[in-house]
Amino acid sequence: MSPEQTSLLQGTLDLLILKSLRAGEMHGLGISRRVEQITGGTFVVKPGSLFPALHRMEEEGWITAFWGESENNRRAKYYRLSKPGLKQLEAETKRWSRISLAIGQALEAS
Amino acid sequence: MPLLVKARSFLRNLFFVRRVDADLDREVHSHLEMLIEERMRAGMAAPEARRAARIELGGVEQVKEQVRDSRTGAFLDSLLQDFRFAIRSLRRTAGLTAFVVITLALGIGMTSATFSMVDALIFRPYPVPHPSNVVSLAGTTHDSKIEDFSYREYLDIRDNTKSYDGVIAYADMQAVGFSTEPTATPRVKGGMMVSGNFFRVLGVEPRLGRGFRPDEDQVPGRDAVVVLGPDFWRHEFASDPGVVGKTIRLNGTSFTVIGVAPDEFPGLLVFGHPDLYMPLAMARLFSTDIGKNFFEDRDDRELNVKARLKAGTSLSEARNELAVLAKGFERDYANVTRSRGAAVYTQFQTRTIEDQNWKFGVVFVILALAVLLVACTNVAGLLLSRARERAREIAVRLALGAGRLRLIRLLLTESLMLATLGGLAGIAIGYGVIEWFHSKDTIIFATELPVAVPFQMDKRVLLLCVGLSVLSAFLCGLAPALQSTRVDLVNALKSADVEVPGRKRLWGRNMLVVAQVAMSLMLLTASFLMARGFQHDLMVGTGFTKDHLLITSFDPRLIQYNATQTQQFYKLLAERMRETPGVQSEALTQNIPLGTDDFDGLTFVPDGFTMPPDRANFASTMDTIDEGYFATTGIPILRGRAFLTTDTADAPRVAIVNAHFAKHYWPDGDAVGKHIHLDNSAGVPVEIVGVAETIKYQTMSDPMDFIYLPLAQRPVARMVLMLRSSGDPLQLLQPVKDAVRSLDPNLPLLHTQAYEEFYLNQAVRGPQIAIDLVGTMGAVGLFLAIAGLYGLVAYNVSRRTHEIGIRMALGAVSSDVLRLVMGKGVVLVGIGTGLGLVMGFALEQLMNSMLFNSGGVDVVAYLIVVPSLFLVAMLAAYVPARRACRIAPTQALRYD
Repeated sequence: MSPEQTSLLQGTLDLLILKSLRAGEMHGLGISRRVEQITGGTFVVKPGSLFPALHRMEEEGWITAFWGESENNRRAKYYRLSKPGLKQLEAETKRWSRISLAIGQALEAS
Repeated sequence: MPLLVKARSFLRNLFFVRRVDADLDREVHSHLEMLIEERMRAGMAAPEARRAARIELGGVEQVKEQVRDSRTGAFLDSLLQDFRFAIRSLRRTAGLTAFVVITLALGIGMTSATFSMVDALIFRPYPVPHPSNVVSLAGTTHDSKIEDFSYREYLDIRDNTKSYDGVIAYADMQAVGFSTEPTATPRVKGGMMVSGNFFRVLGVEPRLGRGFRPDEDQVPGRDAVVVLGPDFWRHEFASDPGVVGKTIRLNGTSFTVIGVAPDEFPGLLVFGHPDLYMPLAMARLFSTDIGKNFFEDRDDRELNVKARLKAGTSLSEARNELAVLAKGFERDYANVTRSRGAAVYTQFQTRTIEDQNWKFGVVFVILALAVLLVACTNVAGLLLSRARERAREIAVRLALGAGRLRLIRLLLTESLMLATLGGLAGIAIGYGVIEWFHSKDTIIFATELPVAVPFQMDKRVLLLCVGLSVLSAFLCGLAPALQSTRVDLVNALKSADVEVPGRKRLWGRNMLVVAQVAMSLMLLTASFLMARGFQHDLMVGTGFTKDHLLITSFDPRLIQYNATQTQQFYKLLAERMRETPGVQSEALTQNIPLGTDDFDGLTFVPDGFTMPPDRANFASTMDTIDEGYFATTGIPILRGRAFLTTDTADAPRVAIVNAHFAKHYWPDGDAVGKHIHLDNSAGVPVEIVGVAETIKYQTMSDPMDFIYLPLAQRPVARMVLMLRSSGDPLQLLQPVKDAVRSLDPNLPLLHTQAYEEFYLNQAVRGPQIAIDLVGTMGAVGLFLAIAGLYGLVAYNVSRRTHEIGIRMALGAVSSDVLRLVMGKGVVLVGIGTGLGLVMGFALEQLMNSMLFNSGGVDVVAYLIVVPSLFLVAMLAAYVPARRACRIAPTQALRYD
């Protein structure tokens, strides 16, 4: 892993997973790669953080899990965004935009 | 909705552990497989791809553990796991577990039993609703912080204060003659006079009938009504629900039963549980000072006053209000109220001022806590040495992804379980000890009144047990847990010996040795001191003859004698007794020495003394006696004379003082011939005609001032008859009964017994209970300390077997090794002894100031205790060191 890859900020991981699942149902590895892809390789999600997050979010009711077939005919556990999850994604997105805007302004101020 | 989802996951996680776990396992493995495939698609060879994938994953088990930790209910789940595991591992080492549990149980049991004393004497709230706002109002003088009020003073306080929702008054519990038929001989019961608002203000609802009406306490002598205590009702009336309205006779007068107090209200007293509550208005039948008018005399002070503080009124406001009122008393009634103040006390203050016995309780608790601490260090030492044996297991767990915190929790769960078992067993021991106290009831209280040892295993004591158990779990478990989880993984897995090099670990164990020596030294010193303190008191002697004495008490008020009849009765009784064969001499006294009742106080001003402006008089304890007293008790008259039959009510007033008194007020001159004035310098002059030897009066403690007044000049209703017999004093029992029956068949004999028997109970067997208790604690503490000390020192030495092997291989001889090992022991025990001496000395000062007032240092105690502890420690170091020296170096080097 290159030192460039930023460690995930607390709370960002949930947002990124929800965002990835917005595109459709996905298994763990798929989510991991998708996050890497949409953040341009800045964020790398390791299984040690990914799986606890997924299970926690499932318990929160934001995503639902089911077993399905992978692209290579392998059984894999898939995750899908639920209605509360969608709501959570919107709320988190708003919150995040607000924060990033504020931080951006703060850093630009002289 | 999310809450429901969450609850579902929680239940699923809890009850379908296996299925959830299998699912997780499949998921992580499929993830791993996909990672490998991805690598191989990118062109890696299979083994290489597998390796890279594993590195990225970071370990299947670790990932699973992380997921488990993040789950809902993970905490509870793992806690259950911990418990199951702890039970398994404790069962595996049943012997050790049993020892630890017994050790802790002794400590916790001792502490809870002794705390129950302090609890009963100080903390237990009044058995009424909202007990915390019940405060005590008390008079204060130069000599006392808590004094009773007179009836007049009570009325003034009740009517002129605004801080309270009601002010009540009650007299001390006293002997009352009870009978159901006018012709029957009355039996002695414990009665208490209370103000008419007593039950109402306290918020106590009678279980049957009613409490007093306000008008029933208005007119002296009019309303003869009585409320029964719950136990009395049960025993005397077999819980008869129809008792209300019945008539009973108290001190010869008919009373109508109007109610029965509830079981929850055994009374306001710590020890006594009154049988009968009578209104203050009936005081003519019950008041103690027959020379005074209860309803009019402002200095006939017989009443405890308590009040309910109004919500929003502070204690200091109430204090100021009462202080102003007391100033008014002093101004308006200067002749009877000079230099008297007043104070408002909380329950805690009242109890701690009223009765000093709680101090014994506190010392007992301190000692018991020391036993518990010794027990805890023992357990900590044991767990520590066990932790070493488990080091590899712990290292494996750490390697498999268990967090350090999680492991510490696991180990703490284990010690918590130990402590819980210990706590439960401790509660059982506590119950046992308290039962033992109760079995001593009749020894502690030699009286016919309804009093009992109040110690109980109640809510607060049980709470303490739980608290102590948890605390001791942390005390014994935390250090070993912290230490055993701080291991170097690689080394731990490689070798069996995972001792971290460095001093830190050794330091902890050495601390335990030092603490153990110090604690047990303090404990032993204290129990020695206490035992010797009591023994010393007994050795000193009492100053009067105790054998061949029969005592029996009379209270002619029980059958409604007036003052003249009473004195006539005593005169006749004395005459009859003197004529009885077998009676060498006869005496009447208001109180016997070292008896259960307090002596009266007397205020006076000696001739020729100018009192300071803020002080009206001096105070001394006193006794009222007849002319046979000194001959019967054998107390020598040092100067002057004893009382004579010529000291009649009409003769000039006379008094006899003790030597202590004489020396106190006339250090250079002769007290005989001097006068004291009663109450103040303008009071009645009384001539001192004799000086008696100072004896032990109230307790076995220091000598005090004492004045004797003749019965003829100071009539008292309740007197004790003392008879000196030529043979067995109990043989005089029948002649006394006959004589009394011929004077009045209705008059009961109270507390009849041989004085020596009474004295043994009161002054010897009572303290013996305390000595037994402290002795047991000392013995338990010593036993635990020796076991622990031996274990720790021996373990420390055996840990060095390897090192000793090297030393021997390099040419050291056994004497070198012994010196090395023993030297270390000596240093540790020396430090512990030093600390223990400091603590023991501090405790001795505390005990001296609180209990024995002897002040000196008890050298003998230290001379016995210190060397014996040293010996044990030396032996503990010697035996394993000796063994280590005997092992062949080759063998010792292989030893781990």
